[in-house]
Amino acid sequence: MLKKTEHSDLLTQGDLSELERIREFIIVKANTFGFSNDIAYKIALAVDEACSNLIKHSFKFDSKKTISISIETERNAFTVIISDYGNPFDPNNISSPNMKEYFEHFNRGGLGVHIMKSVMDEISYIPSQNNDSSNKLILRKFIN
Amino acid sequence: MTQENKFVINQRHLEKVECLYLKGYLDAHTSPILESALETLVKDGKNNILVNFRDLDYISSAGLGVFMAFIEDVREAGGDIKLTDMQQKVFSVFDLLGFPMLFDIEKEEKTAIDKFNSNEERVSD
Repeated sequence: MLKKTEHSDLLTQGDLSELERIREFIIVKANTFGFSNDIAYKIALAVDEACSNLIKHSFKFDSKKTISISIETERNAFTVIISDYGNPFDPNNISSPNMKEYFEHFNRGGLGVHIMKSVMDEISYIPSQNNDSSNKLILRKFIN
Repeated sequence: MTQENKFVINQRHLEKVECLYLKGYLDAHTSPILESALETLVKDGKNNILVNFRDLDYISSAGLGVFMAFIEDVREAGGDIKLTDMQQKVFSVFDLLGFPMLFDIEKEEKTAIDKFNSNEERVSD
């Protein structure tokens, strides 16, 4: 199925209270693109995990910082670009945990990146090159 | 909408089991509410805990992490945290990460309560 190229943006405060609005934005756009409710929900989960990590680890809960979320759809690709001016953090540098060992040691945390990698088809990261450019996390999911 | 409205816990005390009924969204914003509720139960020595997910519409890793924080202590004290009545979309998040390996996830609350009661009988035999 060929999809028309489209672009949508959402700018939010870097605050955990914004997560619900971010998820709703993603779910509506993913459903409109043609994903099932189940896949739309999972993409929203991956974006939630990315934004939660940003707010906690990069922004250190400074809600004056902002997150810009852009969705680009083209042909069979649904792409979410999450831009921020926090400390760069490339999730591709984090290896996924061995869940058997994770449970044996009753670990906690560190699952957000694992979820993102499990749900999305492609993850790429472009760190800020200077103070004027943002970091960009690019999450992509293809539709059959 | 306030944080409290986005996520609500109702609590019911049975003879041997404390039941928590979750409603709304369990994410990084609301998970401290659940953490606080579980912490209170565990501090009070209430280690047979049933969590009913029937009205929970969403969970992220922050919510999963809350259960990881308490399961070891609760089991060491002879209890358990049993999870029941999940909507498919919520179960799929647990399943995605393999949480059924560690947690007892039941379709119905009654099954979990029966297990708590039968375990109690075995312990007292």
